[in-house]
Amino acid sequence: MTTQKNTDDRIALLQGTLDLLILKTLLLGPRHGQGIARSIQRQSEEVFFVDHGSLYLALQRLEDKKWIGARWGVSENNRKARFYSLTAKGHEQLAEKTSEWERLTRAMGLILGGAKSGAEV
Amino acid sequence: MFRRKRSGQDFAEEIKAHLALEEDELKNEGLSDDEAHRRARSGFGNASVARERFYMKDRVAWLDHLWRDLRYGLRGLRRNPGFTLVAVITLALAVGANTAVFSLLDQALLRTLPVHDPDQLVVLNFAGATDGHWHSEGGSARGHIHEFSYPMYKDLRDRNTVLGGLIAEVQSDVGVTWNNRAEAAPAEMVSGNYFDVLGVQPAMGRLFVASDETAENANPVAVLNFDYWKTHLAEAPIVGQALLINGTPFTVVGISAPGFHSMVFGHLPALYVPITMQPVLEPDWAPLKDHLQYWIDLVGRLKPGVTRTQAEASLNPLFMALRTAEFSILHDQSQKERDAFVSASHLNLESGAQGFSPLRSDVRTPFLIMVVLVVAMAVVNIASLQLVRAATRAREFSIRFSLGATRSQLVRQLLVEGMLVGVAGAGLGLLVAPRALALLIRWMSGRSADDPVFSAALDWRALIFTIAVTFVASVLFSLAPAAQFWNPRLAEALGQQAGTGAGGSLKFRRTCVALQVGFSLLLIIAAGLFMRTIRNLRNVDAGFSTDHILAFRIAPEIAGYPQTAIAPVEQRILDNIAALPGVRGAGATNDPDLSDDDRTGDVLVTGYAPKPNEEFDVELPWVSDHYLQTLGVQLVAGRYFTSADTATSTRVAIVNQIFANHFFGSPGAALGHHMSRPNQANTDAMIVGVVRDVKHTTVRDAMTPMAYTLFAQAIRPAALTFYVRTWQAPDAAINSIRATVAGIDTKLVMSGVGTMNEKIDDTLLFERTIALLAMAFGGLATVLAGIGLYGILAYSTAQRTREIGIRMALGARRGTVVGLIVQETILLAGAAIAVTIPLAIAGSNAVRSQLFGVSIADPAIYGAGVLVIALVAMVAGFIPARRAASVDPAKALRNE
Repeated sequence: MTTQKNTDDRIALLQGTLDLLILKTLLLGPRHGQGIARSIQRQSEEVFFVDHGSLYLALQRLEDKKWIGARWGVSENNRKARFYSLTAKGHEQLAEKTSEWERLTRAMGLILGGAKSGAEV
Repeated sequence: MFRRKRSGQDFAEEIKAHLALEEDELKNEGLSDDEAHRRARSGFGNASVARERFYMKDRVAWLDHLWRDLRYGLRGLRRNPGFTLVAVITLALAVGANTAVFSLLDQALLRTLPVHDPDQLVVLNFAGATDGHWHSEGGSARGHIHEFSYPMYKDLRDRNTVLGGLIAEVQSDVGVTWNNRAEAAPAEMVSGNYFDVLGVQPAMGRLFVASDETAENANPVAVLNFDYWKTHLAEAPIVGQALLINGTPFTVVGISAPGFHSMVFGHLPALYVPITMQPVLEPDWAPLKDHLQYWIDLVGRLKPGVTRTQAEASLNPLFMALRTAEFSILHDQSQKERDAFVSASHLNLESGAQGFSPLRSDVRTPFLIMVVLVVAMAVVNIASLQLVRAATRAREFSIRFSLGATRSQLVRQLLVEGMLVGVAGAGLGLLVAPRALALLIRWMSGRSADDPVFSAALDWRALIFTIAVTFVASVLFSLAPAAQFWNPRLAEALGQQAGTGAGGSLKFRRTCVALQVGFSLLLIIAAGLFMRTIRNLRNVDAGFSTDHILAFRIAPEIAGYPQTAIAPVEQRILDNIAALPGVRGAGATNDPDLSDDDRTGDVLVTGYAPKPNEEFDVELPWVSDHYLQTLGVQLVAGRYFTSADTATSTRVAIVNQIFANHFFGSPGAALGHHMSRPNQANTDAMIVGVVRDVKHTTVRDAMTPMAYTLFAQAIRPAALTFYVRTWQAPDAAINSIRATVAGIDTKLVMSGVGTMNEKIDDTLLFERTIALLAMAFGGLATVLAGIGLYGILAYSTAQRTREIGIRMALGARRGTVVGLIVQETILLAGAAIAVTIPLAIAGSNAVRSQLFGVSIADPAIYGAGVLVIALVAMVAGFIPARRAASVDPAKALRNE
């Protein structure tokens, strides 16, 4: 069919996770909304599907918190688009959220992995 | 958060840009234009929801939706014109009546005096026995006597440490002559510090000072009321000039500030004079130096920082000392009298910010009853209307809810509809209010009131209150449908339309309609009881016929007559009127009959030894020689007064049967005995006749012992109330009587002209007010209950079309079908009636003292009430019953 995976395999993003992904994506440089969405989708090997409505609300939320800035510009294929970039505060938050996430996944992995191994014994 | 950082348009722009970018990319990936376009859009999820959410995030969504809700609400109301009309009219009547009632309530109970720091004012009253003359303005109750003696006033004023000032006031009617024009006017006798303590300023000249209250008859000065000066004296430059009060010259020293009338609510004096001038204003008695004459109202101003409780505690030892001193001069020095007079006495201070009001306690009860009635009516009717409407809309709301409307949206829309009804009702009500107020004032004032106490101005606070009440009622109960879709069994509501109509909401509606029916019946019964009371009181046997009697009052002292000339001119008036064609007789008394007026006192009777502690007060009218014959009071023994009984002949008295039986055992035994007033010289009179007992104070009160003496033989002259019995309608004789009085002296003023039956009616104010209100609201409630009943029956009939169709298909006759509807009507109305009647009896029992000659369970009244309800129920059931009877079984079954 197409490059897109079957909808059933996709994982809906948790609230908060999307914020972290957006910040991480913007670390590479300013991007517009559609670019961010595509980037997240691609980098997650199409596992994550970003609901675009939620994306824009998240962008607005981050902008309100001054973690990201925005300005109108022109895309590579000459379309008017709103470009988002990371602020200094955004950088700080990204570092903090990333370590938070790592702690969380490590803890989750310990629990889930432990339970599995226990079952095999 | 409230500041918009980004416009909605900017956001929409970004989404558009996103869709374009996505489309480009999809095309690059090899999709067709159409497919790319479609996929871009679907990938976005729901674009409009996102936009919506963006809007909601930053805005008070209320404002955005208000206009839409408003339009929708208006459309909804238009679709339901019957409901809208009845709801708006109910509210309008409630607002109108409420505003009117509260405007009066405010004037009587709530408004503060237009004086300096009204919160510091306190009204004095006391508990304890009184002995001697008690000149009550009204408003005094057991334990709360508002009148004090003048010596007591001076002692309290001069010897207290907690009051910044203590003022005295007594109302009196006087004759004012200025520029040779005489008229009767109300005056206020006040203490010298009156204006000073109240903080009232002069509009012109000066007001009284302490040196204007020195000694009896030594202060012939007057202050004019601003309104009187403006309306009666045309703002003449009168300050410094003299005018005559009861024939005595008084110098006008000033005019009081506009807006101020009196420390007593309801008093509208034309002028103020120092209280030391009392002998000129009221020549017929001399209370100024008397410790035992209670006649003055007192108001004090607390010193700054002193509370009412502190002042009361500080004043009571002084008051007790003064009471002890007063007790020492009493005739009766028994321990029992001491207990009642001294030990039981206590001085109370009540808040005086609204002024002292003798009327206040009189009107409080009827006012509160009216207010409660009106509010209850409005709320019950609005509630029931909204609930009935809610039930019919259950399906509408269920559908809207399942189509995705949120609860808050539905609630908001209901609120808007409730508000619309509220606004329309309140608006219309404000148009009704002035008319309702005018009507109420007419009822409150009675016919003979010369100067209405209440002004017809609507009060803005009353307005706000009313609007608030109706608004809350309307908006609150407009939420009724919400209660239904909060019901978890929502799906059932959707399916409920079919079936037999036995849903829970219908049960609820039935309860509401039954409540309305019950409430209407309650009001109809109340109206009936009070109407019957009024009729009974009007028809009560006073002991003489009250028909064809014209009454009026003349006070010759007002026209400047000296003391010695008063009785002769009164006799001349009587003689000249009696000679008029069409007049059957003329009589006069200083103690008007059946108009809530009393002149009582104790008497000494020769040959009678009073029992210990006996208290037997007797009504003591001074009458003319033809008074008893004119009224038609029947003679039992002895003789009537005759024209041979004159000022110089032996003093004579006629007593009634109660009097004769008490003192002598039988009417015949009374003749020839002598009676007199204790401690009053020249009051000894021989009893020459005994007459039948008649009603005196009011038609409602029991008969009292009476002793009539002649005004011509009285110890001092008095203003008289004249009674003229005519052959034809008494109104027809008014002109010739006026001409006769004017023929004697144009300065003589006739006041309070009216028939005796009108005077009696004036004393039935409370009963008339209640009857009027119960009738008006009872009528309204009955109509509303009828509409509610019709709604229920029509609704359930419509719901049962299928059931009826089946029954008819199975062979039921039309009569049976109509019977179904009739059965439901009877069940509903019958249940309501059965529950209401015990309630009505209990309620009537609570107002039993206000009823007269009618049983609280009068079968005729209850029967008539039930009949009215039954009639309304029949009319309400008629249309649905006919519709049910005309159901075509084939059609009805196809309906589903």
